[in-house]
Amino acid sequence: MLEAKHLKKTFGPLTAVDDVSFTINEGEILGMIGQNGAGKTTTFRLILDFLTSDSGEILWNGRPLTKADYNIIGYLPEERGLYPKVTIEDQLIYFGRLRGKSKKEVKPLIDMWMEKFKVKGKKTDKVKSLSKGNQQKVQLIATLLHEPKLVILDEPFSGLDPVNAGILEEGIKELRQQGACVIFSSHNMNNVEEICDHLLMLRDGAVVLKGPVKEIREQFGRTKLFLETPMSQQELNELPGVENVKKTNEGIYLLDLEDASYGKQIFDIVTKDGFIPTFSQQPPTLEEIFKLKAGEPHE
Amino acid sequence: MVFAPIVILLVIAAIIYFVSASENGGVPEIAVLSEDQQVQAILQAEEEQFEVNTEITTVEDAETAMEAEELDGYLVVEEENGVYQGNYVYSPDSQDVDTYYLTGVLSSVQQIQQAESLGLTQEDIASILTPATLEQTRIEFEGGGITTTESAEDALRMGSAYAVGIAVFMFIMTYSSIIGEEIASEKGTRIMEVILSSVSSTIHFFGKLVAIVLICFTQIAIYVVLGAIALQLDFVQDLLQGIDISAIFQGLLGTSLAYFILGIVLYAILAAFLGSLVSKVEDVSKAVTPIVFLSLAGFYAGMFAFYNPTHMIVKIGSYIPLFTSFIMPFRVASDTVTTTGVMISIVGLILFVLLTTWLSLLLYRSSVLIYSDAGMFKTMKTSFKAMRRQQKV
Repeated sequence: MLEAKHLKKTFGPLTAVDDVSFTINEGEILGMIGQNGAGKTTTFRLILDFLTSDSGEILWNGRPLTKADYNIIGYLPEERGLYPKVTIEDQLIYFGRLRGKSKKEVKPLIDMWMEKFKVKGKKTDKVKSLSKGNQQKVQLIATLLHEPKLVILDEPFSGLDPVNAGILEEGIKELRQQGACVIFSSHNMNNVEEICDHLLMLRDGAVVLKGPVKEIREQFGRTKLFLETPMSQQELNELPGVENVKKTNEGIYLLDLEDASYGKQIFDIVTKDGFIPTFSQQPPTLEEIFKLKAGEPHE
Repeated sequence: MVFAPIVILLVIAAIIYFVSASENGGVPEIAVLSEDQQVQAILQAEEEQFEVNTEITTVEDAETAMEAEELDGYLVVEEENGVYQGNYVYSPDSQDVDTYYLTGVLSSVQQIQQAESLGLTQEDIASILTPATLEQTRIEFEGGGITTTESAEDALRMGSAYAVGIAVFMFIMTYSSIIGEEIASEKGTRIMEVILSSVSSTIHFFGKLVAIVLICFTQIAIYVVLGAIALQLDFVQDLLQGIDISAIFQGLLGTSLAYFILGIVLYAILAAFLGSLVSKVEDVSKAVTPIVFLSLAGFYAGMFAFYNPTHMIVKIGSYIPLFTSFIMPFRVASDTVTTTGVMISIVGLILFVLLTTWLSLLLYRSSVLIYSDAGMFKTMKTSFKAMRRQQKV
């Protein structure tokens, strides 16, 4: 279990991380979102002890992380890098040995992981001969090969196509099953929504959203209504509680409601002539919440 | 990298060989235009310095032959009242002829002639012409006693000091850029972050140093093996005839080896530290510039010490740890430093290495994680602040 308590970090006049607390239990995934410069990477660096916090503490199973715990950490830095002139195999063995695994233990695992992440190329290929996406997968393997218990992934999805992002999602979910604490940052709200148990949103170093994804969304109320109906945009605009009507490309109307409670009233009106294909009342998406929160004026 | 110095040596050897070969394209050929039979006879007897073409007896013939580049020059000798006057005529295309030798020949002919005209006997002439002799004996005062050394051994010791000086310079230049690049590239590719989340920066720092020093030793070992193989070859043995190999090794081992290793370690540490200050491999050459200048200065100070081992600057410089490795071997080789002096300089060097290691390590951990395009001094300042903060916590 990883606990961060009231972390604070300043760089001169800039407060990069301001009173951030969170807990990740074993087998849980924490997604960290926030705009660029919100303090995500700084938080990771505080966890890894690359930076010393001004105040607050980080506890791993109730005690501070020490050098003895290094072998259970898997860390993927935001900017990717491998030794370009070293083969995939040697590279993975090196990183495995850095984490306390022997060459003998690592060697048989390499094929399995390369298969799992569908890395194109032989393990005797030099890294510089691989495409960027494949290099990134090799680095992911290097991060996960030693079966870490605390996994820190800084923007793991950036640069991956949807298929590969899917493979990575599966990989992260597998880590959860193995009982690892996973913390990752992402700009892609779909990935976040899909896999994380808890969500933490930072803005200017401070926590603005925290909790399970579903709860956060519900918190904002089901104010989005997707509607497929023969009625015109004008008629829909005049329905009770409707603030705004947009027509999407697929011919489905998207209504912004003043309050979720208008839903039932609208349902009765639009279904008075019988069947309609779509009536879906939903909370705002994470992306909408993200934009909303990021744009909110400071308190 | 390993073979570059050998290739350079071979190229230099080849250049020297060809230059000397073209100069020795046969000995110069000259004509002697003189009526004096004795002069003719003595000069014709000479074979090493030049050859005398006896067929040419007139200035015209000689000049025609010179134009055709068949003759390098001609010597006109005239005698008047027992005084010999020679005029050596040559062209820019000619091979050089040692004119001191010509003067010597003419002088001795003149002396013999004059002695004979004075009615001296052959013995008298011989005794007059016998030059005085001068021998050199060098003594050293060591431990209260006086020892004499032969100058040949001395030259050999200076030679091996020279070799150490060049080797220190070459190894420092090669390895400081390697270690600087290694660290800057790990930092630049962010591999450093992964590494530092696995091991402490201290282990990484020492690991890099040990690795570099081991590579350095491997390179030296290769040279030793190659040298040992070369020694078995006949033509190498011919070349080295009369040179006492064991004396060279004695010069290279002992204190010189200590200066060599300590010097490389010191500069490797500095290079590692400087490499940790930049974020990109492209900036490494900029970062290691101080090392280049320091070692260049050291190298030239060493060359200066080669000629002036007792100069005050040399004496002071040899105790400055950054220059000790370059200068001290020359002072040791020329016996201008006491054993105490050697010990002081070695202890000083070791202390300085330890101090540099400690300082570099303190700043290394913070500087290696600071990515900024700001100058090196700014980075150093930032990492110093980060270090202070870390110590406070």
